[in-house]
Amino acid sequence: MAPLVQLDRVSKAYEQKVAVHDLNLRIEAGSMFGLLGPNGAGKTSSIRMMVGITVPDSGTVSLFGRAFTRASLKKVGYLPEERGLYRKMKVMDQLLFMGQLHGLTAEVAARRAHTWCERLNILDSAQSKTEELSKGMQQKIQFIVTLLHEPELIIMDEPFAGLDPVNATLLQDTLLDLKKAGRAILFSTHRMDQAEKLCDEICLIHRGKAVLSGRMRELKSRHERNRVIIDFEGDDGFLSHEAIAEHRKYPGHVEIRLKEHGDAQALLRTAEQHAQIYRFELVEPSLEEIFIQTVGEKVDA
Amino acid sequence: MREALLIARREYLERIRSKAFRVSTVLIPFVFGLIFGIGAFSTKLTGGAKHIVVASNDPVLAESERAELTALRGDESRRDRSSQLRMEARAPITEGELAALNTAVESKKIDGYLWLDVKPGTTQPEATYVSSGSDFFGKDRMQYSIGHALVREELVKRGATSEGVESLLKDIEMKTLRVKNGRAVAADASKSFWGAYVMTFMLYFAVVFYGVNVAHSVVSEKTSRVFEVLLASAKPESLMLGKLLGVGAVGLTQMAVWIGFVLLLSASSLWMTLGLGGLAAYGVTPLQLIFFVLYFLLGFFFYSALSAGLGATVSQESEVQQFTMIIVLPQVIGLMMIVYILGNPGAWPVVLLSLFPPCTPIVMSLRMAAMAVPAWQLALSLVLMVLSIYGMVWVASRVYRVGILMYGKRPTLPEILRWVKYS
Repeated sequence: MAPLVQLDRVSKAYEQKVAVHDLNLRIEAGSMFGLLGPNGAGKTSSIRMMVGITVPDSGTVSLFGRAFTRASLKKVGYLPEERGLYRKMKVMDQLLFMGQLHGLTAEVAARRAHTWCERLNILDSAQSKTEELSKGMQQKIQFIVTLLHEPELIIMDEPFAGLDPVNATLLQDTLLDLKKAGRAILFSTHRMDQAEKLCDEICLIHRGKAVLSGRMRELKSRHERNRVIIDFEGDDGFLSHEAIAEHRKYPGHVEIRLKEHGDAQALLRTAEQHAQIYRFELVEPSLEEIFIQTVGEKVDA
Repeated sequence: MREALLIARREYLERIRSKAFRVSTVLIPFVFGLIFGIGAFSTKLTGGAKHIVVASNDPVLAESERAELTALRGDESRRDRSSQLRMEARAPITEGELAALNTAVESKKIDGYLWLDVKPGTTQPEATYVSSGSDFFGKDRMQYSIGHALVREELVKRGATSEGVESLLKDIEMKTLRVKNGRAVAADASKSFWGAYVMTFMLYFAVVFYGVNVAHSVVSEKTSRVFEVLLASAKPESLMLGKLLGVGAVGLTQMAVWIGFVLLLSASSLWMTLGLGGLAAYGVTPLQLIFFVLYFLLGFFFYSALSAGLGATVSQESEVQQFTMIIVLPQVIGLMMIVYILGNPGAWPVVLLSLFPPCTPIVMSLRMAAMAVPAWQLALSLVLMVLSIYGMVWVASRVYRVGILMYGKRPTLPEILRWVKYS
């Protein structure tokens, strides 16, 4: 089956700055794809090319297995980074208008808008003017605008930015439901922990170039588990073990980074001879750590 | 097209439903009424009954001059005000009475007096006009009337009958004709360019009040960032076209409300009491009327499209104001050349100007009032206007689309040109 989105060696430069350089990307149906990277890495530039707002300088963008045409946008839901709603319009009118603009009839748009408002707990505000609502509420409306025409491909630029934890979770769960229903979802974020939790697949962009991409599980398994966390009581003499590269010690708790191919099992055996071990965990590297390892610098999120 | 209509409908409904629309529909005619009312009222004030004395040592001359000034011969504009005039002749007059007139003027008992001093042995009197401030007749008119009075007096002295004198001194009627289609037809010079004036006024009004709204609407979509959502679902050309139609229709609706009201008024007896005739009284042909409406609509949409294009280049509402001047300028040019155009409606610079889309509505209306404009020129001007509107929409949509990447600073002209080329 053809991927829903395929970017092939796509580049884009503005005036002096190269925004995206030789980017390759594939997104399959029924998957959640994370476009990651620090601010200014080229996430928004890449996304805008996917929805035809800008055109790449070189390379090709394909949607639904065919070269980009405006017609295929009927099956795409796009949430821009900078949210935009008509401030003076009533929420329901706004949803109806946007739905119709995406090709729905007024009746279908009204029915779906009602269902969505109910689902995201904003039915009470449906007759209010948009400008009277809180930012979080407006974001939910924007979210509905994106999804109203039941797009097969959902593209969201920083969808959770500026949301309180309750609403962020609500929207995350909604996206997971949509994925289960077989939609493909791509979202960008600079928050690695979010991507780690939600995504099946990621592409990590740094200065316009993809530095890391693939399925989350594979990426993680490619990187060694070299961090150890130990909760203990008693003698800490085991910290001089040869497998340890460095450690940070707290009362009864120590975080360890192992040397390359350091033997964690040997460390465990030594440790239990010295102290009472309550917890010994060989931690999987976080996405952020992988990023730092790959790029060699800290993400300034 | 469906997209454009959807956008037009949204724009139209949102605006029609707004309080601002209802308020302005009522308030603007009210304000205009108030302005005209104040104007009329102030004329009444200054024109309030004037008391003017004609003093002379020659009673016949004084009476004759009094009659001349009362008749206000040859001055149509003031004739209707003669009823507000109180003329009084005092002759012969003593030195003391003359001095008393000065005091009367100062104490505002009278508004002024004309002193005609006939020295023995001369035919020409020495004339002096004394007033508290403004003179009601104007110097020329007074000299003219004194001349008339002298002639009248002389004629009577030489034995002419009063009927004979009247018929000699009567103002001569003059007809003005205009050659149209090879025949001289009656034309009232003061009425022949009514169309251009009305067109200029309506177009100016419509563009300043509504055309600029398109720019505001475009800019507000940019500042609220709605346009990125819209661009992901509709073509920029559809967006611009829809906006133009929607916002334009709002203006036309409001004007239709007013025109409808005026027509209702004109059907009523009030219109007749106001002394305003029907269109036919102004020598308007149905063809002229049709072209008037066509040119008005095209002109309106042309300027609105221009305004949309300018709106697309700015990122803040406040910047729109600076562009109003650019939009109004071509209309002012047409208006400034009105005398030349009416005098030379067929000269090639005028023909070119009438085919230049920004000037077409006004200049063409002027030409049509002054001559029979060749059909091909009319057709060409319409085609050019439609094409230029389309061109403006196209350019505006390009600029609008690329403007998404711009923040803050205003683009320079070379940058805008690059945007237009950019796909």
